[in-house]
Amino acid sequence: MTGLPEAGFVGLSAALVAVGLFGILTRRNFVLLLIAIEIAMNAAILNFVYFAAFAPTPGEGLAGQAAAVVLVGFAATEVAVGLAIVLALNRAKGTINVAEATELRL
Amino acid sequence: MIGLATIAFAVLAGVAVLTAVAALLVRELVHTILWIALFFVDLSAIYFLLEAPFLGVLQLGVYAGAVTVLLLFGIMVTRKRIFSREAATGLGPAPVALALLTFVFVVAAVGELPSGPSALQVYAPSDLSAALFGTYGPWVLILGIIMLTSVSGAIYLVREGRE
Repeated sequence: MTGLPEAGFVGLSAALVAVGLFGILTRRNFVLLLIAIEIAMNAAILNFVYFAAFAPTPGEGLAGQAAAVVLVGFAATEVAVGLAIVLALNRAKGTINVAEATELRL
Repeated sequence: MIGLATIAFAVLAGVAVLTAVAALLVRELVHTILWIALFFVDLSAIYFLLEAPFLGVLQLGVYAGAVTVLLLFGIMVTRKRIFSREAATGLGPAPVALALLTFVFVVAAVGELPSGPSALQVYAPSDLSAALFGTYGPWVLILGIIMLTSVSGAIYLVREGRE
């Protein structure tokens, strides 16, 4: 399959990072914050997959795809820890508004 | 002549950006989860378009499956009514401007990228797994150790009677 726009993928990644950054800056709900981080992280994974698909050598391409696989694992781990923090915050404060999480000790 | 792959990519990219924005802007949290699930499925379609079937399936299973359900679970246990609305947080000019600035900066950097081969490289999932558990075995090992420690940390955070 050829004819995929080269700049399009980097542009899409840039747009997703921008959307994620916007979410991180504006949302106060912890779950929405996690979702914004996931959007930005998916942009990074998309970049890995894209540059792997157009890598000069097969070894470099496989390295990119392997990095993407490991990153998906990291992202899933991060969501699990994030939700544990959400539950602990909800138990301690009765809310998941990050503006009210003013202490490190939950 | 615009190829079929280009049209497919344009549609998928548009849907990805729209669903990501919609997920962050809708007021009902359950609708947010629906939009983000659509976003993950859409990205997996892009991976299939890039001839990376293993990553496409991984994206469907881990993101569209596990992460979506985990987020939904997080909303369910922390809300009295799961269809309750989020308090409106206004679109301040500063975050929007900063996000746009980031986009412009990254796109401006695209021009400096070396232009690679235009042919799409296709890797069989067996090659990928051989590389993943051969050459890049230490990465997988480190991922496993980090997962183990973070699960221990998560269990410590939510266990009963912690003071």
